[in-house]
Amino acid sequence: MNIAKQFDTLWYQGASLAFVAMVTGAALAIASQATGPRIAEAQARKTQAALAEVLPGNSFDNDLMADTIAVKDTDGRTVTVYRARKAGVVTGVVFGMENKGYSGTIKLVMGVDRDGRLTGVRVTGHTETPGLGDKIELAKNPWVLSFDGRSLGDPAPARWAVKKDGGIFDQFAGATITPRAVVNAVKRGLDLYAAQQATMLGEPAAPAAPQS
Amino acid sequence: MNTVLSSPHAVGARSVGNVMGLVLIALVPATLAGFWRFGWPSVYLWLVTILACVATEVLCVRLRGLSAGKAVFDGSAVLTGWLLAMSLPPWAPWWIGVVGGVFAVAITKHLFGGLGQNLFNPAMAARVMLLISFPVEMTQWLLPTPDALPGALDALAITFGAGAPDAMSSASLLGHIKAEATKGVLLDQSLPGHYSATAFGIGERQGSLGETSALLLLAGGIFLVIKGVIGLRIPLAFLAGVVVPAAIASAVAPDHYLGPVAHLLSGGVMLAAFFIATDYVTSASTPLGQWIFGLGCGLLTWTIRTWGAYPEGIAFAIMLMNATAPLIDQYTRPRIFGRKRDGRSLNPAETAKARAR
Amino acid sequence: MSEACATAAADSAPATPTPPAGPSYGALMKDGLWSNNPVLAQMIGLCPTLAVTGNATNGLGMGLATTAVLVLSNMLIASIRNLVSPNVRIPVFVALIASLVTLIDMSMNAWMYELYQVLGLFIALIVVNCAILGRAEAFACKNPVSASAIDGLAMGLGFTLTLVVLGGIREILGSGTLFAGASQMFGPAFHVLEVTLIHDYKGFLMMILPPGAFFVIAFLIAGHRVIEQRAAKRAAAAQAPLPDGAHA
Repeated sequence: MNIAKQFDTLWYQGASLAFVAMVTGAALAIASQATGPRIAEAQARKTQAALAEVLPGNSFDNDLMADTIAVKDTDGRTVTVYRARKAGVVTGVVFGMENKGYSGTIKLVMGVDRDGRLTGVRVTGHTETPGLGDKIELAKNPWVLSFDGRSLGDPAPARWAVKKDGGIFDQFAGATITPRAVVNAVKRGLDLYAAQQATMLGEPAAPAAPQS
Repeated sequence: MNTVLSSPHAVGARSVGNVMGLVLIALVPATLAGFWRFGWPSVYLWLVTILACVATEVLCVRLRGLSAGKAVFDGSAVLTGWLLAMSLPPWAPWWIGVVGGVFAVAITKHLFGGLGQNLFNPAMAARVMLLISFPVEMTQWLLPTPDALPGALDALAITFGAGAPDAMSSASLLGHIKAEATKGVLLDQSLPGHYSATAFGIGERQGSLGETSALLLLAGGIFLVIKGVIGLRIPLAFLAGVVVPAAIASAVAPDHYLGPVAHLLSGGVMLAAFFIATDYVTSASTPLGQWIFGLGCGLLTWTIRTWGAYPEGIAFAIMLMNATAPLIDQYTRPRIFGRKRDGRSLNPAETAKARAR
Repeated sequence: MSEACATAAADSAPATPTPPAGPSYGALMKDGLWSNNPVLAQMIGLCPTLAVTGNATNGLGMGLATTAVLVLSNMLIASIRNLVSPNVRIPVFVALIASLVTLIDMSMNAWMYELYQVLGLFIALIVVNCAILGRAEAFACKNPVSASAIDGLAMGLGFTLTLVVLGGIREILGSGTLFAGASQMFGPAFHVLEVTLIHDYKGFLMMILPPGAFFVIAFLIAGHRVIEQRAAKRAAAAQAPLPDGAHA
């Protein structure tokens, strides 16, 4: 049989289109079924790895994604807090902050341990000027590591600023606004932790006494 | 600026070289003022930038198989280099001038077909390229201190060596108020001590080599207008485009928007309005088109300064309007004598015939 | 482009005899790599070309991912070329190619997660690469499966080559390095590729920003043309030498 003879007939064109649509549709549906769970798992692993970046390696043994709580910051924005637990005890929390940079919003995640010390800060999204403001990315510059181990009392609140404003954090040549925005966001994050520590740690608010 | 209408054209007594020469003369006072304020490093930078432009011009003309002498001595490469140098930070390292000069002449001018064919103003395109590429070097402004300037030899080390010492550099006025605004500091606090109209008028402030003395630039511009080299439409429209929105905005919210005088005197508005936006090749040429072109430059400048990511917007504004100049000319063509505005004949019979065809 | 596949449809009809053998594989390779290079000569696939070539490593990743998809899509189209009516070939090709790319995307995400971390971004971008549909339309729907596979390979490698050169030039001028991050993308063995050419380089930032892509690709295309024109002139001169033969 010569198929080419049927090429100009409407039924052949319609049928072949319908057939292709059916086959590709079915293939995609099957593939989606087969890969869906694995893809979700891979995604979860990726997020977990990103959160673990700002926590000390051995500080938790739980599934960060499964242990979250939502708190409200002073602006009324809802912040999702991921809790790191070791043997059931909360050792630290991870949450995201954002601030307006030189051009657009800078997003970052920060890890804080029980005592309110920073265990790590990473910028996860920004649109700052390449070559100037983008030094806040760890891939470009180790600047963001200068937050490690800092807390609200170290340095003193007045020195939580870039050097140009009398603080202790470096600014970049030609760019002050970007690091200033990051420093402010981190400071606000620490303030938020201090204000909502009990809620974040998931402990009853009353016994605030034990401070070891 | 002359208006080009339909033929017949009279052959003018002025050659390209003649016009360029007058423009260069008009630039001299403001340039000398810049040299006096910023010292030898700015002289070296000015020289290097012009030399780079002329050398690139010779090279490009040779490569294209044209006669080199005529192209070089018409002065257009010198003018491009001069204008570019005027818009650079006065103590910028030598290679800023060289990279900018090569880009201006080779890429912006000759790749588009040479003198008269370029779509964008070469000096402004080069400045934008430099600002995007080398943001640190291009924002090192210094306060003019004519008493404590380095000698000719020390200056060599600044231009050809280490560059401007950090301690001497600071933000320009527009950069300063933009940075303060992101901290939430309003103009009533960020302006005092950084701005006074007299200091800005005579040029006692930080800024690029040739932009600081607004009054001398204005004088040069008026000289060109009197000599008939440029028309008044583009400069006036440009200044109006900056002043009007600035006046309205600062009247409504003086804490958030800089006033019209400060806008006029900073960021090279005078230089751009009289010397750069009036470039014959890259601006609109019809009378109405020139009003639109100048107004567009001014409005965009104010808009970019006020809301843009960069504190100073003139170079961007001029490049954007350069790109629209052919379109503006297309839609503002004057009526041809004896014909309707759309080019059809006034004679109804002829129009009908044309329709039937 | 209209009715381009009519010839393919007529393949089976005895009236128009198919040429005994298509172009040789060597000719196909030369076509894809140089004379009919997808970017430099056909100027297709420019969107991903300009978007990802901030450095040589990204260019290489994008090029390799595109090559894989091109070979597979060309083979798929060639194998069904005699069954598709010319009138509906475009929607059929689009549906097939889009599904193919999505299938590759999903399976890599699920089973080759490490590789997907690297190339996943590019796979999604390949859907908008008109080079894929372009080769299906211009070659695969008129030629047998084996020749189409070679064509896909040649075009893919030509694409890769251009992207690596473009990305390399931009990376050298923009940040003074070459193949930075190659070991992160392809594995530690590729650490040898990473070179820092200029230490303490300030960076010609425009080159790694979008305008740099336009400038560099313009020069590459112009260079390709100059070389091709010279070659054509030489070939013409060799075929019909001028009587005095003095002018070169």
